[in-house]
Amino acid sequence: MDTGRREALLRAMLDELVAKGYRGLSVEAAIRAARVSLAEFEADFGSKDECLYAAYQSLADRFVARASARCDAAEPWPERVRTGLSALLEELAGEPRLALALTRAFPGIGPATYERYVDLLERFVPLMEEGRAYSEVEEELPGEVELLAVGAAEAIIFSEVDAGRAGRLPTMLPEILFSVLVPFMGPERAADEMRSAAAAT
Amino acid sequence: MEAAAELCAEGGYEALGENQIAERAGLPVAKFRECFPGGEEQCLAEGENAILLEVVAAVSRSYSADQSEWESVTRGVKAILELMAENPAFAYLGYVAARQMAPGRAREMYESGHRMLEAMLERGGEYSGDRQQPPTTALGILGGAEAIIRRELVAGRAGELPRILTECVYAAFVPYLGQEEALRLAREGERLGR
Repeated sequence: MDTGRREALLRAMLDELVAKGYRGLSVEAAIRAARVSLAEFEADFGSKDECLYAAYQSLADRFVARASARCDAAEPWPERVRTGLSALLEELAGEPRLALALTRAFPGIGPATYERYVDLLERFVPLMEEGRAYSEVEEELPGEVELLAVGAAEAIIFSEVDAGRAGRLPTMLPEILFSVLVPFMGPERAADEMRSAAAAT
Repeated sequence: MEAAAELCAEGGYEALGENQIAERAGLPVAKFRECFPGGEEQCLAEGENAILLEVVAAVSRSYSADQSEWESVTRGVKAILELMAENPAFAYLGYVAARQMAPGRAREMYESGHRMLEAMLERGGEYSGDRQQPPTTALGILGGAEAIIRRELVAGRAGELPRILTECVYAAFVPYLGQEEALRLAREGERLGR
């Protein structure tokens, strides 16, 4: 299967999942939508689950890549967080069905798929580590402060996507940025960054 | 309800059925239906409600007029973490399955519990002086703590949850009181946890 049709199939599987849920998902409908034959599907994927996992992996890779693509390593860390977060929110807002697949439909299938979601969140943790250098206190910050920051953003994003309001996520950049930065920089400087982001948008 | 919570933690909502729950609980299916005429969905919702009531009771026991409000919050968080450590299947049901997998009422129970905790955290705004927080601050605080909790539950390390008290206390206070005070309270929390 060529790359274009494979991508179309993976997308169709996620669309089916969001529309019909795991029990109702029809591989036949997905391969029809992607104009792929059953033989091609079976050659590339052993089962519905294998195809779904591949679709989710591809989707997760895409969102992580978009979040880091526009970040300039020469910029200060808070600026990079803002740029990356902004790109991620734009991407989620532009693809609300994929946003639902990413945060709700696929992770909600069961414990094994939920683990993939946890893995996805963990991929953002190393991007947060530099934030420790921006702390305003000398004492070391708690060991899991990076995941606190990632989880804060996830909770707000999840809440909007789940409520069918993914489209308004870019307007929420300043407040999500506050929640991500505050464990590292404290409330005053996180609020400064929030106001700066609000002024820029 | 415990059997349903265990099955949910093992295979998600997809693994739940009246027969499976009854078999795990060692009950005839007819007895299960008598207890839960609404089937597995009712069982799951009542399980979520039971967790919520336990959480409320644990938090209420932690409040005392003889201690500062911060100490009460810390003791409340500690009580929740210990409760989950002792009941891993219910913790999974309450924190992972109810949010991500469950339909209808169990989900509503989760959301109602979440709103209650958010409202408690938002009281921190009364102590934050001139600092202003955006409206999603409490949601972000809970999200940060829950991300760690969910990771531990997924990894089968529910028993380790009391160890993240420091992170949870720090997250709860830092937007309202600043880093220095939040760290001080987190260290005090560590001492309470020992």
